[in-house]
Amino acid sequence: MRYLFIFSILLRLTVTNTLAQSLRVGYYGETVTHYGLKIAAEWSLKNRVRERNQARKELLAGPALAVYRHPQNHIGLVFFPELAYRRTSRRGGIFELGLAPASSYYFLEGTTYTPDESGDLRRVRWAGQNAFLPTVFVRVGKDLSMQRQARLAWFSRLNVMQQRPYNTSALMRFSLETGVAFPLKKP
Amino acid sequence: MKTLFKFISFASLIMMLACGDRDPQPVENNTLFLRNKGADMPIWVKGNRPSNKIILYVHGGPGDCAMCYRYYLKGLEAEAMVAYWDQRVAGASSGKVAEGTLRYAQFSEDMGYVLKLLKKQYPGAEIHLLAHSFGVELSWQYLTAGNNQQEVAGVIVVNGMFSFANWLAAVREWALREAKRKGNTEAETYLLAHPVTPHNAATIEWEPIYRWMYKLGGNPVSLYDNGKYLIDYAFNSPNTALAQFTHGRAYSYYGNVESRRFEKGPLLKDIRIPVGLFWGVKDGVVPVEVGEATKKFLTNASVGEVYFSESWHEPFITETDKFNRAVLDFVR
Repeated sequence: MRYLFIFSILLRLTVTNTLAQSLRVGYYGETVTHYGLKIAAEWSLKNRVRERNQARKELLAGPALAVYRHPQNHIGLVFFPELAYRRTSRRGGIFELGLAPASSYYFLEGTTYTPDESGDLRRVRWAGQNAFLPTVFVRVGKDLSMQRQARLAWFSRLNVMQQRPYNTSALMRFSLETGVAFPLKKP
Repeated sequence: MKTLFKFISFASLIMMLACGDRDPQPVENNTLFLRNKGADMPIWVKGNRPSNKIILYVHGGPGDCAMCYRYYLKGLEAEAMVAYWDQRVAGASSGKVAEGTLRYAQFSEDMGYVLKLLKKQYPGAEIHLLAHSFGVELSWQYLTAGNNQQEVAGVIVVNGMFSFANWLAAVREWALREAKRKGNTEAETYLLAHPVTPHNAATIEWEPIYRWMYKLGGNPVSLYDNGKYLIDYAFNSPNTALAQFTHGRAYSYYGNVESRRFEKGPLLKDIRIPVGLFWGVKDGVVPVEVGEATKKFLTNASVGEVYFSESWHEPFITETDKFNRAVLDFVR
């Protein structure tokens, strides 16, 4: 019983210390028909509130995972380790710039065959490919908690990415995100 | 006001999602991939499966895409299956591809495997090639080797060449004719000073001749002028945005070296499968004279000709219904 009590206290402390500042959930996709979902957590590495206008400036980091589908083409998974600079105004307006050396893996959405040494075609299960996906992004939104409307923020974000390798070189890609962020800790 | 705004947004979203064309029934809707020498090449098979006929669309370019033209070729799907194949590096093809594989021989090997894959998936199906522009070069490359022509029931050749020297001479003649007709003395002077012969075709600067042809109206048709097409492409295409515009430079060897040696004229006499020569008559990119010359070499094949008097390089865009009817007549 004593060990259980100590374990509970330790667990509680660990969770409190490692809990992300906020969680983001949102739509992730190239278009309405090339769609996906993204989940992210973020920690504040450094923050400062300006006394003059009460704007908060933060340096944030955190992991994110996106899954998306280009129908009849591929299904992709992207892991983003993100680093961002964010400014939140006194009224809650969010402006953020960041980068992420992301990596992705995609599965071809179709039955895949490849020739073997004798020239016969054999099926390749779970055919896909991994790629490096360096990303820069800009995000705008509004933190509704700043004016005590709700403990919630909404955002939209544009990602500009380069997929490497892609065919003989690289592919410039874009994606849009829009969703909500839930603060887990008080700022 | 807020409710009205929400309603309009919701209605717009529904309308946008509903604007795609409906597929003809009964429908085959299969996505296959061929993985070969680093490339993952999609083949979308769509259309009437009970027909047991497959029209393999061999797109042009090089580096164009197959599904880009489905908007125009969809009419074929009511009576046959259409296999839209994106060649290596083109369209929605992906993978990690060495530039050195962008050669006729490799494209031809890929085509052989695509046909093998289609036969594996659809045993007993009759396969016809529908080749356009660069796809015609690729088809002649494939069909004139070994017994490859036994793998297909026929080939439709749409505004494509069999010989670089013949082609460049025809483009120059076309441009010179237009320059004279339009009174463009600058173009006329340049073209008269640069005659194309079988001896200099591999070394002459071909790009200025090609540019004059374009400036003189060799192919004024652009896919991007059609708003409905653009909406369909943006929301219904499986292609990743911008993917097909990334690889232009990879074809420099093709443009500067390999295509200039392309000569299949003497081998066309060995073609014994039915050939359809479909030509946009106004085309300056691959003028109709190239089609007429192709026919002269096809001495042992049954050749049907269909001319599209209101079309340039892509008759399926400008005379879609006539084109699709002619293709279905050919494969029937």
